[in-house]
Amino acid sequence: MSWIREQKPSFIERLTGNILKAGPMPKHVAFIMDGNRRFAQKAHVQRQEGHSQGFEKLAETLRWCLHLGIHEVTVYAFSIENFKRSKEEVDGLMELARQKFSRLLTEQENLEKHGVCIRVLGDLTLLPADLQQLIAKAVVATKAHNKCFLNVCFAYTSRHEIANAVKEMAWGVEQGLIKPSDVSEVLLGECLYSSNSPNPDLLIRTSGEVRLSDFLLWQTSYSCLVFQSVLWPEYSFWNLCEAVLQYQLSYQSLQKAQALHREGQELQQMEADRSCVAELLQHRGNGKPLDAQSRQKELLKYTAGREERVRCFLNALQHKRDTVFRDLSSQAVVA
Amino acid sequence: MALLYEMAWRFLHALLYVQRALVAWFRVHIWRWKRAVVGLLLPLALGIHKLKKTGATGKRTSRRVRSGADGRTLEKLPLHLGLLITEDEIHFTDVASLVVWCMAVGISYVSVYDNQGVFRRNNSRLMEEILKQQQELLGMDSSKYSVEFLKNGTDKQEHQVLSCQSVVKVFSPEDGRLSIVQAAQQLCRAVEQKEKTLKDINVTVLDSLLRESKNIPDPDLVLKFGPVESTLGFLPWHIRLTEIISLPSHVDVSYDDLFGALQRYATCEQRLGK
Repeated sequence: MSWIREQKPSFIERLTGNILKAGPMPKHVAFIMDGNRRFAQKAHVQRQEGHSQGFEKLAETLRWCLHLGIHEVTVYAFSIENFKRSKEEVDGLMELARQKFSRLLTEQENLEKHGVCIRVLGDLTLLPADLQQLIAKAVVATKAHNKCFLNVCFAYTSRHEIANAVKEMAWGVEQGLIKPSDVSEVLLGECLYSSNSPNPDLLIRTSGEVRLSDFLLWQTSYSCLVFQSVLWPEYSFWNLCEAVLQYQLSYQSLQKAQALHREGQELQQMEADRSCVAELLQHRGNGKPLDAQSRQKELLKYTAGREERVRCFLNALQHKRDTVFRDLSSQAVVA
Repeated sequence: MALLYEMAWRFLHALLYVQRALVAWFRVHIWRWKRAVVGLLLPLALGIHKLKKTGATGKRTSRRVRSGADGRTLEKLPLHLGLLITEDEIHFTDVASLVVWCMAVGISYVSVYDNQGVFRRNNSRLMEEILKQQQELLGMDSSKYSVEFLKNGTDKQEHQVLSCQSVVKVFSPEDGRLSIVQAAQQLCRAVEQKEKTLKDINVTVLDSLLRESKNIPDPDLVLKFGPVESTLGFLPWHIRLTEIISLPSHVDVSYDDLFGALQRYATCEQRLGK
């Protein structure tokens, strides 16, 4: 079945949506779609069927999100830890992914009409080569779309993502693009797989488990976390509304906490820049201490230089990533 | 039309606010009712005429004796329990009681966190309260339990005792993302000085660097107090598999509240991806 559902919302769904939208709405929601296997057990069907129904529920949820004005959704489809499952189940999941991404490639017109941009986050090198190529094609084909965004975490764990970001920054240092002192919280965030997205406002985990399971640990530090006991294939529009309501109740406190955190980040950066300038002046220095005005001038000059270095580095990183996807997707064409 | 929706939204949130207030009111009053009943019936049943201390500490002292035995009845206990306070106003006595109960139940590592760094700035005040509560709540048993305080950042022991049974640590947002950034800077400097290559940077290496500075295992369980549904920057790297259980408030929290959460934790099943 399709990734895009054309079905219009019912009257009561529209009414509820409009009431909720009178308050603050999350712009980016992340889902841990847990409970497919327990659902399969409950419904006395095969596990594979449970996963398949899980995908159907994803497509439905995307439609609800769009109607609520939520234009970015990130989902945890497959964890690196899931490779530990039986070969049968892993192969089944890979096959499901193949089907869905192939299907996606046939729906390009529809995707363009709705402006859907698909991104896949994770260590794709861990996946079978043909799936890597399919994914690359889907990502490249929808890259320019900008009305709504679906980020699929596949072969992903947050720790791998963070370690990879550190590696990318180390690459930047190795290439002479940035200095180790340029490494900051903001820069690390820009090197994650999710760098093209803002942090999720709301994270929803279904099936009653109350842990993050290595999902977006960095990005959800100040997000609203909602744990719901419903199994993913049974998720309803009302469950989503409940989660949004919870977000609205925590909104003021979260805004305050995020503002406090941003202030701290800025202060941290300023302190870091100040100490770098002090070190530079010491090295350059001829013993004469600079007056406050000159020090300030040096600080501004240093900050501008750092920002330029970082900008060039991030461009190079984006180019490197785009090239990987383009190469992978063009391989598929040749084959 | 938009005005109508806005009115409906305000009404909905007003209802929710009232519901929350009622639940909180009931929580306090049902506890008071329970204590009154116990206070009346227990001495009658045991024929004791003198009532022990009433007031805020009343419900705590009545739980004194059971703690150690309670710990053993649970299927599993967290090795490291994190207390995450999201409320603006912090009651040190209540937090200290929680720490002491955790120790009594047999939890080896207890950490305390708030996102404004209040605990970090008032480290010694918290320590004093914990020692005070240890005396008050554990009474004659308090010598059996000993607590080691680890100061943030360095591992200088603030209070050395002979037999360590529990370690208490205070965390703030600096221990979260900022620690990861510092580890990243360290690795980048090593690459710059050609001491390491890119291949040497992976999850294991980063994890051991972060573990070095914390000297405490990853939290198995985080008890979040307050209405804010977020971890507010608490140790993002370390909470990858942590169970997060929410409790309404740390103010006037009872041992039963804590034990209820521990019971819930004991029934959690971690499949670790499988």
